[in-house]
Amino acid sequence: MSAATARGRWAGFAFVGPFLFFYVTLLIYPLFRGILISFQRADLFGGGRWVGIGNYSRLVADPIFHQALMNTFKLTLMIVPALTLIALALALALNSSSRTAGLFRGLFFAPSVLSVTIVTLIWRFILTPDAGLVALGARAVGAEPIPFLSDPNLTIPALAITTIWWSLGLPMMLFLAGLQQIPGDIYEAAALDGAGRWTTLRRVTLPSLRRTVILVIMLQTAAQLQLFGQAQLLTAGGPSGSSRPVVLLIYEIAFGRWELGYAASAAEVLFVLILAVTFVQYWTAGRAEER
Amino acid sequence: MRGRALLILAAAAATLFGCSPGQKKTEIALQRFFGECGAVYGQTVDLAKAEGECGIVTALINKFNAENPDIHVEVNIVAWPGYTQLASQMAAKDPPDLVTMHQGVISDYSSRGLLEPMEPILRHAGIDPAGFTAASRLGVTKGGTIYGLPWDTIGGLFHVNTKLFAQAGLMKGGKPVFPNSPEELLAQARQFKAATGKPYFVQSQLNDAATHVRNLYTYLIAQDATIFPDPKHIQLQTAEARRVLALFKQLNAEGLSTVNQDNPAAIATFLNGGGGVFPTGTWMIGGFDQEAQTPGRPLYQSYAVFPYPRLWGHAASFVDGHSWVMPKRKRTPEQRAAIVRLLAFMAAHNFDWSRTGHIPASQAVVDSAEFKALPHRGDIAPLAQIGRPLPGYVRRQGAIEGLLGEDLGAAVTGQKPIDQALADAERRVDELLEQTD
Amino acid sequence: MRARVSPLAWIAVALGAAIVVAPLLWTVLLSLKANSELMRDSGTAFSAPYTLENYHSILNGNMVFRWLLNSVIVSTGTTLGVLALCSLAGYGFARLEFPFRRTLFVFVLLGLAIPEQAVILPQHRLFADLGLHNSYPGLILPGLAGPFGVFFMTQYFRGIPRDLDEAAMLDGASRLTTFWKVLLPLTMPAQATLGVFTFLASWNSYWWPLISATRGNMFTLTVGLASAQMNYAQTSGLGFLMAQAVFASIPIFIVYILFQKHIVRAMSGAAVR
Repeated sequence: MSAATARGRWAGFAFVGPFLFFYVTLLIYPLFRGILISFQRADLFGGGRWVGIGNYSRLVADPIFHQALMNTFKLTLMIVPALTLIALALALALNSSSRTAGLFRGLFFAPSVLSVTIVTLIWRFILTPDAGLVALGARAVGAEPIPFLSDPNLTIPALAITTIWWSLGLPMMLFLAGLQQIPGDIYEAAALDGAGRWTTLRRVTLPSLRRTVILVIMLQTAAQLQLFGQAQLLTAGGPSGSSRPVVLLIYEIAFGRWELGYAASAAEVLFVLILAVTFVQYWTAGRAEER
Repeated sequence: MRGRALLILAAAAATLFGCSPGQKKTEIALQRFFGECGAVYGQTVDLAKAEGECGIVTALINKFNAENPDIHVEVNIVAWPGYTQLASQMAAKDPPDLVTMHQGVISDYSSRGLLEPMEPILRHAGIDPAGFTAASRLGVTKGGTIYGLPWDTIGGLFHVNTKLFAQAGLMKGGKPVFPNSPEELLAQARQFKAATGKPYFVQSQLNDAATHVRNLYTYLIAQDATIFPDPKHIQLQTAEARRVLALFKQLNAEGLSTVNQDNPAAIATFLNGGGGVFPTGTWMIGGFDQEAQTPGRPLYQSYAVFPYPRLWGHAASFVDGHSWVMPKRKRTPEQRAAIVRLLAFMAAHNFDWSRTGHIPASQAVVDSAEFKALPHRGDIAPLAQIGRPLPGYVRRQGAIEGLLGEDLGAAVTGQKPIDQALADAERRVDELLEQTD
Repeated sequence: MRARVSPLAWIAVALGAAIVVAPLLWTVLLSLKANSELMRDSGTAFSAPYTLENYHSILNGNMVFRWLLNSVIVSTGTTLGVLALCSLAGYGFARLEFPFRRTLFVFVLLGLAIPEQAVILPQHRLFADLGLHNSYPGLILPGLAGPFGVFFMTQYFRGIPRDLDEAAMLDGASRLTTFWKVLLPLTMPAQATLGVFTFLASWNSYWWPLISATRGNMFTLTVGLASAQMNYAQTSGLGFLMAQAVFASIPIFIVYILFQKHIVRAMSGAAVR
């Protein structure tokens, strides 16, 4: 860049400027405005009065918020490990160039292109105790239908199953891509050493996939902590809030109860939580790498 | 490639936004619930051919559009009750021109100055509020001002499968025998179950706050219990409330009611003869009566409907009503005139709307021979006298219903002890009311 | 690698596939039944008579067409916007020297940690102040602010040998020409990857359209079907609802089948980064 003139020095802004404009006005500005609103008693229809940490102390004392937090953790813990393991197993089984493997890959990925509305519509009429596929099956063998959408102990598993079915595709593809990256000669070396299939998997394949595993876990954790549509459409958070995740609570507080400030404070708490979890995961992964 | 895509986009945009010149219709945006049934009634203008809330309201608007070629009513259908959507529209300063609103909800919006006072508009439309039924007038009047065109009075009713009732020995002189006390209700329900093998009640208890709240409010009003002592508080930790919940909890515990059903499931169960009594709203009468007139159906000639029976205190029913309200926004004089015409049209067709099962808002229609000639209307008519709305000062009734429904549902299904559920509900509602200023 | 997969594993995979496909088949079956039959017993879906009446109802004038068009416009608009903004910014960050370049790049990277839920309420207020709700810009703009694409394109531009643009510059080409004529064509694989990602994400986004598009004629498919779903008790019935779902899924499935290779490559690209 020896020829850079004064004008040239600033030319870069012409390229990055348009994006930065949208980035600042539509992401950074709202982020800070959200923090401000969280310290106000603000109404959905405008206005707001400074209440300091009033909203946050309300959150600390609000059992409904606690319940929503617990639900969110439960969902994440139920979905992320299962999703990672199943996707990994599928990727290992389907990592070949055969037509059959390709067909299966396509099948397992297919639900991922559906929108949350259609996914919940489908699963509602699988799980609903009176007209659902599961209930029909249960009745056919003389069993009582399982009240997936009404028993407070079963609604979260129901949301988890739906979510796993829906989002299997992306992690599976990520693992497949990770497998493609492993150089073939490592396997040849392993084969020369007389390593069995199981040993190869444990000693060669899985260690090489470490980074992908971490990526999948981090992406999925952040995504599931923000689970919204499935809960809103499938169980409406019920019965009695037993399946209401934090984001659904935020939506209800803001647009049902019109308490924008209170909703914003719940959103900030979740934001900090997501940051913390992501950071801890990143840090743990980094430390493990060093060893 | 991209150029071509852009061209296609531009063409699509042109067809979307383009309006052929010379066609000057006044557009008004109407937002309603009652469901979407364009596939069946999209072309219907003959009101007699329309059935049910969705069918009748769709046909009414089709008819209005057909009779008023200079106006186009653009209909936006929201999922019931649609208030989160309306709230985000108002927050976005882009509400529709005319909205269906439960009368119990009006005070939320009117108290914040979000609705237009309607008296002048009603006057232009030639509608005299003195002609409304007492319940309707009360329902739309907040702080002395009228904020809506009332359309009906709605409330809970006992929808009965008389064939099963007869089987259980609960018919007398062609009418169902109803209990007069909680003990009698339990006894009759047990007798019913023993005779038919089916639950006495079909109830939509799953994700349906309205069911639980209707039961509680109705029997609290019957006992003359004060539910809202003042605009900031609800009073639920009372012997009266415990009594009501204990009864419904016991019905569930003894298998005398369906439990794991949402509204569609409960409807299907009742239609299939799966239980004796379906406590649900006036809006189901039309649909059930149609089944009762169709040979071969489980409900054929075995359907009757009555207000909730007295169990404690006096006969009472918690009621609400639908109304048409106008959110405040900028409008042209043409749009105002169009709204006036639409409101006059809606008021003039109050009888057609009452075919849904709701009690009409116009006293003249209630008294008319054609209304009385509709099936079952004699049996449910008392609703107009015993019906009571919540006090007009109670705000956030919709949100309160949602909060209450969760805890009440948990209490009657045994997920939470009754006392704790009532305490939780009371605290949550008070907290919500605390936020209203 | 040539994986040898045991027959047992194949059986497990086949079983898994059956579990994944069964819900889709069930949906199709329900969509082919008369609503009145389903109302009494959804189990009738397993036996004839089947009918196309529900699909016929859709073709007889239904909002689904409008919602489909809205989804296409919004997703296409978002995708084109993201590709344009991110290509420019990616080139800027990767190739040009300007004051605060590093700081700005880190500033953009930080945005990767901002989840939608942390900004959506203030965004709603902002768009209300600007009067942008219930409009195509209102639905498209929030999708343009995400920093992932910039990060992705910057990495890709960095991977292209510098000799190429230096040669072009020596020939007297301006920066814009170099960018447009020389480098941009080389980034086509990355554009395809980013494009597919953006399109799918936009097509399936739910929360923002739910609160921003509140008029039926501005609904996207996702929101429109949600309203139909919550309305179904009082409306046209289960079979019709399922037919809508199937009908609405067909376009995205066609896109999926056509672009399957790109999608797979897109996923690989994301993993390689």
